[in-house]
Amino acid sequence: MNIRANIKTNGFGKLFSRQESAPIVIFIAMIIIVASIQSNFFTPSSLKNSLNSFAPLILMAMGQAIVLVSGGLDLSSGTSMALMLCVLTRIMKKDDPVTGVWALLVALGVMLGIGLLNGAAVGYLKLPPIIATFATSYIWFGIALFVTPTPGGESVNWMRAFFDFNAVNNMPDWLKAFGAVVPTSVLLILAGCVVWYIVSRTKTGRYMYAVGSNRVTAYQSGIKTAKIQTTAYILNSFFLLLCALFFTAQNQAGSARIGDPLTLQCIAAAVVGGIALNGGRGNVFLAIIGAVIMSLVGKIIFFANMPDAYQTLVSGVIIIIAIASSAVYSTLNERAALRGGK
Amino acid sequence: MVLLEAKNIKKHFGGVAALSDGNITCKKGKITGLLGANGSGKSTLSKIVTGVYLADSGTITYNGEKVCFRNPIDAKRAGISMAFQNLSLLPHLTVWQNIVLSFEKTNRFFLNNKDAKELSQDILDKFLPNFDISRTIGQLDPSEKQLVEIAKAISEDPQLLILDEPTAALEQVQVNALFKYMRDLASKGVSMIFTSHRLWEVLEICDDVVIFRNGKNVGELDFCMNEKCPDDIVKLITGETETIHHIKTYRDIADEPMLRIQNLKYGKFLKSVSFELKKGEILGIGGLQGQGQNELMLALAGNYREAKGDFILKEKKINLTKPANAIRCGMFLVPGDRQVEGLMLKDSIYTNIIFPKLAFKKQPFFTPIKKYKEECQGIVEKLAIKTESIDKTVDTLSGGNQQKVVVGKWLNFDTNVLLLADPAKGVDVGAKRDLYAFIIKMVEENNMSVILYASDNEELISYCDRVLIMYEGRIVGELSGGDITEESIISMSMQVDVRNGEGA
Repeated sequence: MNIRANIKTNGFGKLFSRQESAPIVIFIAMIIIVASIQSNFFTPSSLKNSLNSFAPLILMAMGQAIVLVSGGLDLSSGTSMALMLCVLTRIMKKDDPVTGVWALLVALGVMLGIGLLNGAAVGYLKLPPIIATFATSYIWFGIALFVTPTPGGESVNWMRAFFDFNAVNNMPDWLKAFGAVVPTSVLLILAGCVVWYIVSRTKTGRYMYAVGSNRVTAYQSGIKTAKIQTTAYILNSFFLLLCALFFTAQNQAGSARIGDPLTLQCIAAAVVGGIALNGGRGNVFLAIIGAVIMSLVGKIIFFANMPDAYQTLVSGVIIIIAIASSAVYSTLNERAALRGGK
Repeated sequence: MVLLEAKNIKKHFGGVAALSDGNITCKKGKITGLLGANGSGKSTLSKIVTGVYLADSGTITYNGEKVCFRNPIDAKRAGISMAFQNLSLLPHLTVWQNIVLSFEKTNRFFLNNKDAKELSQDILDKFLPNFDISRTIGQLDPSEKQLVEIAKAISEDPQLLILDEPTAALEQVQVNALFKYMRDLASKGVSMIFTSHRLWEVLEICDDVVIFRNGKNVGELDFCMNEKCPDDIVKLITGETETIHHIKTYRDIADEPMLRIQNLKYGKFLKSVSFELKKGEILGIGGLQGQGQNELMLALAGNYREAKGDFILKEKKINLTKPANAIRCGMFLVPGDRQVEGLMLKDSIYTNIIFPKLAFKKQPFFTPIKKYKEECQGIVEKLAIKTESIDKTVDTLSGGNQQKVVVGKWLNFDTNVLLLADPAKGVDVGAKRDLYAFIIKMVEENNMSVILYASDNEELISYCDRVLIMYEGRIVGELSGGDITEESIISMSMQVDVRNGEGA
């Protein structure tokens, strides 16, 4: 007696019975609320500012989404991002553009290392993802503190292209004009979307859903589950590197502590977007919606002029409501299907 | 020509020998039946051949070469695929994604979804015409899942196809379609190993049979040379020299009502079901599969808050909106899917048997573990559960013994109504007989009543005092005493079908 099998599967009914529809509805509602309390929300400069402030969480949530889909979880995403940021800003010397290349190469190496270690712990050693990545988060944090004991570091000028084309000195004018309209944060997110789109159409992408759905069964079907999970963690690392590059360009300095609050936020963002914590369902695009919802919560509280003491409390309540409403939504759908039956 | 020969296979799990001397030979283009009680080692052997488990010792010869499959991938590459009894499908992926899983075709780098969909549709059309393959597995009913599982195994183009109890979840029409397809495959040179508890199916489809008992094979019969003789096979399976048939006794049932149900409604599954259950009665619920029988059992056990209707237990009106309410009224469910709904598989037998008591009876502050263990040991002995110790986890038990644990949970309580939802599904002949013998004893000793839903009509005929037939969520007929026969049940289950057909 599978109730879900009986949900209407035609046209309009299908659209509204899909699990994705709840976050989308919340997303639209949030936009309307923000637009009504912040009158200049839709002006180009304001939109650009918003996007720039949302971008790190969005990128991290996208990476988290990939790990969640493949049945994992990454509690180290904040500190691994911070580690890459520290490595980048430590290696670069402001006046020597070549150091930017070296920094990028080393950061790529760190990215692979982080992904491989997390992936190996979860995939090959079969440690529970929560414990494994909780432990590695301390490793990354330790190394980051070693690299950058106190916040600081510098960045080469061309690296600033990861934040704003107009901040780079010798940028061709047409790119500057383009950058004035489309902020780099959008390009980074789009790049991430393209990467996911490509991956999701390959065997690897399909197998991530398979492993997340049920690891034992996937293994018995002949899927190399450990390899797939490791790949997922490496992809996650790639998104974290994008985020680190964005921070480097924005702040031109690194700090080992910058990622801490973002870890749980990006997991919450993925869940708000409707991605199942137990794997097998969701995608990167839902994570973007979730991350934007989370960011808008902050904005609403800011504009509501609430006393500081209440801000975190209210944001917690709003997140619970966002997550609960998608659960309530599917329950209501099942009830409706039950009543609607002949 | 011999395709596969397994010799002297041994396999231990912990201290328990699952297989002590397994032998099987498959000939090219032949269907080999694999028979045996639950826990006799036939599933273990199948899993060793397909590389899921590694044998402790023994040899496997395949296509004339000695092989040793270290994982399922090796076996699949060599052309051996298996449709598992505990399905190997992934709930969140769609039907077609599951069918091509791990054998996806690609255009260079990208998945070729169009071909995959066509292939899946082609195979499934043979069993399930006009089936929507873009649904996820989680949305299918059990028989559809089973057919998808079989389609998945077939799609890998195997030389040896192992079907582990493929028919348990299927309806007759689907079984027939499957058999037709199996004969097709055999004529193309595909060898098959077929496992089933339904003897007549094995007699119908198999060319030869191998019979397992207690981890070794105790007999082989080649139907080309021997007469198909069911009695001989049953003797080999049970290991008894004489087959004992249950002799039905017509019991006198006092005209005293135990439970009255009026106008029970639940969505489209149950439409105004009313009946009366008498004290000491075993009431059967029959009919085609999926006509609301399962929902009826679950509603009576308090699983559906949305179910509406009046329930009167021993003249008292009761409320069945929560499982806890049903339990307090002494109505206990032995659910159909025991592994998911009835047991905590990873916990010990002790925990499984004692926890309802912990939950529903007043407890001292410190649980008297020693006393409870003794009680539990008593229950295990009473039910003849085969196990080394009550501290073993339930998933180490065979299907029949697991089911006994589910029944054992409620032996601490005063039972008014025992709800049995297909309790003997996937349980072998011997264990089935034990189970029912025990239930009948309980009924007679404790003055309780039983509602039994069984997908196998034979169980209804052998054990029920009265049988209600369901069709599309309604009760459409009642049989009692000597009127309960295979013919009467089937004709009553189908009669409505005919009438509806004429009406349309």
